[in-house]
Amino acid sequence: MTVLRGRGGPGQGSPGYVSRTRSRAESSGGLSRRDLLRAALVGAGGVALGGALAGCATPSAAGSGKTSVMIWDLFAGGDGALMQEMVGAVAAANPDISVESTTLAWGPPYYTKLAMASSGGRPPEAAIMHMSRLAGYAPGGLLEPFDLDVLAQLGVREEHFAAAVWQKAQYDGQLYALPLDTHPYITFHNPTIVKDAGLARADGKLDLDAVAGADNFLAAGRAMAEVTGETGVGWGYQRDPAGCWRMFWGLYSQNGGEYELTPGRPAALDEEAAAEVFEFLQAMVDGTVAGKNQDGNAAAARFMSQRTGMMFAGEWDLPMFRDALPDVGATQFPAVFGTPANYADSHAFVLPRQGTPDPAGREATYRVLAGLLKEGLTWASAGHIPAYQPIVEEPAYQELTPQRDYAPAAEIAVFDPDAWFTGGGSDFQTRMADAMTDTLAGEASPRTAVTRMLSEMDRFLALPDPA
Amino acid sequence: MTVSNAGVTAPAGPALPVRQASGKRSGTRTGTTRTSMRARDRSGYLFVAPFAIATALFLVVPTLYGLWMSFTNQSLTGAGSEFIGFANYAEAFSDPQVWQTLWHTVWFTILSTVPLVLVALVMALLVHTGLPGQWVWRMSFFVPYLLTSAVVWHLSNWMFQPDIGLLDTWIKGLGLTPLGWLTDENVAMFSIAGVTVWWTVGFNFLLYLAALQGIPAQQYEAATIDGAGGWRRLVSITLPQLRTITGVIVVLQLLASLKVFDQIYMLTAGGPNGSTRPILEYIYDTGFTNYRLGYASAISYVFFALILVFTLVRLLPARKEA
Repeated sequence: MTVLRGRGGPGQGSPGYVSRTRSRAESSGGLSRRDLLRAALVGAGGVALGGALAGCATPSAAGSGKTSVMIWDLFAGGDGALMQEMVGAVAAANPDISVESTTLAWGPPYYTKLAMASSGGRPPEAAIMHMSRLAGYAPGGLLEPFDLDVLAQLGVREEHFAAAVWQKAQYDGQLYALPLDTHPYITFHNPTIVKDAGLARADGKLDLDAVAGADNFLAAGRAMAEVTGETGVGWGYQRDPAGCWRMFWGLYSQNGGEYELTPGRPAALDEEAAAEVFEFLQAMVDGTVAGKNQDGNAAAARFMSQRTGMMFAGEWDLPMFRDALPDVGATQFPAVFGTPANYADSHAFVLPRQGTPDPAGREATYRVLAGLLKEGLTWASAGHIPAYQPIVEEPAYQELTPQRDYAPAAEIAVFDPDAWFTGGGSDFQTRMADAMTDTLAGEASPRTAVTRMLSEMDRFLALPDPA
Repeated sequence: MTVSNAGVTAPAGPALPVRQASGKRSGTRTGTTRTSMRARDRSGYLFVAPFAIATALFLVVPTLYGLWMSFTNQSLTGAGSEFIGFANYAEAFSDPQVWQTLWHTVWFTILSTVPLVLVALVMALLVHTGLPGQWVWRMSFFVPYLLTSAVVWHLSNWMFQPDIGLLDTWIKGLGLTPLGWLTDENVAMFSIAGVTVWWTVGFNFLLYLAALQGIPAQQYEAATIDGAGGWRRLVSITLPQLRTITGVIVVLQLLASLKVFDQIYMLTAGGPNGSTRPILEYIYDTGFTNYRLGYASAISYVFFALILVFTLVRLLPARKEA
């Protein structure tokens, strides 16, 4: 910059030229030594800092005499603040443990970091994982199983969880994931707009029968669009691979949902059923029922500013929506096709494999995780359906609205297909969304999306299982 | 280095006394016996050591380790590290995704390099002609370069956001159909290249400006005396004098553009329908998201070899000229 500041007047050959060159020579000469030394110092500082950063994961909490437990999570939304609140409560109840919770951005980068930390041997003591990712992690040796006896001593037993959820948390006969919640992909609605569109029940909530069946749903969307003057239903599919996949897989499951994803064999879907799903979605994303070229943020912004009556989103968006619309309603996914089904995933705690196991740290980790499960009521206020059933049975949970209105979603939950490459935040979801965006944008036929998805699935099935 | 520098820069002004002193000191040293000369040589190694160690640890060793991994089926989970010969390379050459994403990288490089050189040149010429308020121009052209990719992502995301973004809102306000800035396969790469030009053009602008200031004023004076106008001076003096720096800028820019990853990863993550996924993202996805480190290393080495060949082809004739 000094070079530039030396240049003042306009034009070439002005008398100022000589002094300009000189000032340049000075600054370049002055650069040589002192600045070099300074740069070397800064560089050395950088190396030292790198060393300090590398030391972050050590379970020491040196000097405090406390056992340190670090937990990684991916709750970057409104639920993250509630997780911090729960961690605070658990830390207060266990003064001998220092609990450090780190929130990382969700999606493929999160799982990349977790896998790298585990394979590097210095992962956090515990981490949040989508249950749908377990198939890709547990066999690879990145995780350690839970000791059921220790959990039982802390009051966490098999009978405290729904059988299907407990089953999903197993691999090779051992418990690898401690289920925290079930989080379905649901619909939120604005009670005022729903009522004005004539879609409300007597108690003011959305009448699920009025939005059941593809034609009914589209008609309801148009009715709401008439009330808002813009769009009826909010759904962001652009730049949101997870949103595309959740919507497709939920609807496809409602429409039969047969699939085969066996490594070494060609992938199979019920192509007719899948094409029907895309026909419906194309009809929905027509600019009236739902916005044509929306991403999740745009859809949410319209919903919160009352320019859309209904919104497809994960229940974890509840804290955000409630801030904007205090009386926001929520229900399970409408029955667009015949079979009741609601896409869902499940957050669970896992124990990444430690390079140097520390029994005291492990014991403390169990206590913290059990404590967090029992803070489930706080977690439920974030929108999630707690997996720990004693919480769900509490009267306080039964009174939470709108949580209780979509609780039935857990009973008809469908999870991601079972394969090592599927699950939340996986490359598979990105590729599936890639395959369908042209069709959703109306630039390709429903069949094209199905063909593209099948060929992508075949590509994944042909890959060697890296675990 | 200090000795020769002192000789050159000594007449330059205030730095003079310091330089002389250092010159004297070095002079006395060079005057002593051969052994101390060797001692000084050895101390040179000491000074180079930190850099050499850092380079070995963080560049040479990982690069060689990556080469080894490309011949194994190494997984990020730690499983599988058997030597499998050229199987990964065979797969890379027959993998359509490799060539598709390589083309996306090349396409981005073309879309970004041409304006990044031309716009930088025009901006530097305009500033150099002496617009009033020089520092304002220099700063506003250069400042975006100082932003981190995350900030650039935030700003451009607000502008390009589908449906509610700044650009779509303006376009709709004019009564036109909004464009899929990041969501239309035919548009997305242009949007990303546009953002990149705005973001990084400042560096090339700076190089051009420095080169312009280095053109001897006598040439312009002589040309003016001979009756050459502004246009003639530009075409016959300025542009030919900028030839060397243009070569440097083009090579630097090509290398920078071929490394594109962050702004694409953050703006579109490779979408829509994979139309902006650069080869580095494919390597990242393969190695880290899908755990296939061995195969990802093989693709990296194919890409590395291509860049190396390209650079050699570009540089060899230049060396002959010199």
